[in-house]
Amino acid sequence: MNKMLGNKKAIAAFTLPVLFVFSLIVFFPIIQTIQKSFYDWDGLTKPIFSGFKNYAELLRDPLFYQASKNGVLFAIVLVIFQIGISTLLALALMNPAIPFRRFFRNAYFIPAVLSVTVACQLFSSIYNPEFGMINKLFETFGLDWQQDWLSDTRCSLLAVAFVSVWHGMGYQFSIIFAGLKSVPDQYQEAAMIDGANRFQINTKVLIPLIKDTYRICLIMAITGGINAYSYMQILTKGGPGTSSHTLTYMTFRSAFTIGEYGYGCAVAAMLILQCLTATFLINKFMRSESITY
Amino acid sequence: MKKLFIFRRKKNYFTIVLLILFSVISIYPLLYLLFYSLKTNDEIFYTNPFGIPLAPQFDNYRRAVQLFDIVGFFKNSMVITLFSVMAILILALPFSYAISRMHWKLKNTVSFYLSLGLFIPIQVIIVPLSILVKNMHISNTYLALIIPYIAFNLAFACMVLSSSFSSLPQELEESAFIDGSGVFRTFLEIMIPLVKPAISTAIIFATMSIWNEYTLASILATDQKLKTLPVGLTSFVGEHSTDWGAMGACLVIASIPTVILYLCCSEQVEKALTVSGAVKG
Repeated sequence: MNKMLGNKKAIAAFTLPVLFVFSLIVFFPIIQTIQKSFYDWDGLTKPIFSGFKNYAELLRDPLFYQASKNGVLFAIVLVIFQIGISTLLALALMNPAIPFRRFFRNAYFIPAVLSVTVACQLFSSIYNPEFGMINKLFETFGLDWQQDWLSDTRCSLLAVAFVSVWHGMGYQFSIIFAGLKSVPDQYQEAAMIDGANRFQINTKVLIPLIKDTYRICLIMAITGGINAYSYMQILTKGGPGTSSHTLTYMTFRSAFTIGEYGYGCAVAAMLILQCLTATFLINKFMRSESITY
Repeated sequence: MKKLFIFRRKKNYFTIVLLILFSVISIYPLLYLLFYSLKTNDEIFYTNPFGIPLAPQFDNYRRAVQLFDIVGFFKNSMVITLFSVMAILILALPFSYAISRMHWKLKNTVSFYLSLGLFIPIQVIIVPLSILVKNMHISNTYLALIIPYIAFNLAFACMVLSSSFSSLPQELEESAFIDGSGVFRTFLEIMIPLVKPAISTAIIFATMSIWNEYTLASILATDQKLKTLPVGLTSFVGEHSTDWGAMGACLVIASIPTVILYLCCSEQVEKALTVSGAVKG
């Protein structure tokens, strides 16, 4: 059997196509991004080596700091609302006495199957200052608090962030719910026998036991927030002004609008760095001995 | 097993209110969309913004199909999704089998290499990728999107398929070889049919992620004839932004495939999308 399963020709035939496509499209471009960030390049003429010039310029660029700040803010909103609310809902739904659980699960998940475009266009009309759903709601209740949700520098980023929360929450909810369900019953039973009430069971037993699930959710939410692009591209085009710029937006703008490919690559490299740092920190703080049941 | 009393909790009204509140928040925007795709502008803006349309305006849908090239975008999305998913399966099945069942030295290294693909956000590769596409002379063709989509979804598909292959007993291949079947035949006729659930998971995940994908499509397929649904929808926001009814109709048409797919196989879809979360990292 070893001869069969060790058949070199078969192995090569099976694996090389995938490795080729993957390396070509995913791996090499990453190397290229990092490499090109050290060059001055407009995409057409020959690139000129410029060392760390792009990075120095980047660190002096106020847009870079604003975009990074926006990315972090976005990530924080995602973490607090997506993960926080999903946890509450998942814990609530664990109670088997609640009717129509299937319905609730479907309801929370449906926004996640929509395209980003649909979600953004929908919210673009909801946020519309004259006719949108939100301002109309305020009107109906007689409140005088209509805002220009997407065109006001103070709240445009948050408005976009909440679209992302709405859109992605179903995903986080499903992961957390699956994690909670996979905790064997005996832990809850033991806690109950020891006299814990529901709240204590939730906070002291269940949540700590799904730490690994949370690690993944956090990584997803934080890197999703730092990388955010499509939401602001469709809703506000980075505006008004630059109040909803993120790093990815900067990359695209540098590379495709202004034609400074080298600079764009430098921004992308910083993006990779930020994501890696975040992932590393999360892994470090949430590292526990592997929880085995 | 007798359910212990822990499972017979009383209804907690606070949690029920909470659950209902959030399901309203999740679903009402969609209902709002559905409703306003069937209303006149007047109704949306002034007379009946929140309620059920009084006189459904199916004309909005007719206008949507006529004014916007919805059918064209739909076709593009379908072609690209179909070919990408087929290619993903054709490439990923043999690869996952080789990774999980065959014996060779670099197995684990290669597996790890591919799993890096799960962590890499598309945004950082866009710049070199667009140049690569240009250099390969496939820009503004279907291939410009199909090939990258294949590459990006391979990592997940391979992961799901290889874990499924790993769970099959070794005796299967042993008996197949004893009966005289070669590697290729065993793979095609015995192993593949046994991982059908994982195959459907991979298909569902790839279909959803490719159909809804926006970032890559907006950069690599700029020709009006080639745009996929997500990109095409954004391109006519400026032109017809005052005709909310027709816009709404477009959005509904664009969402129907994925929503129907989800409603039919909700368990499968959720499982597909959460496997990546549960196993990643």
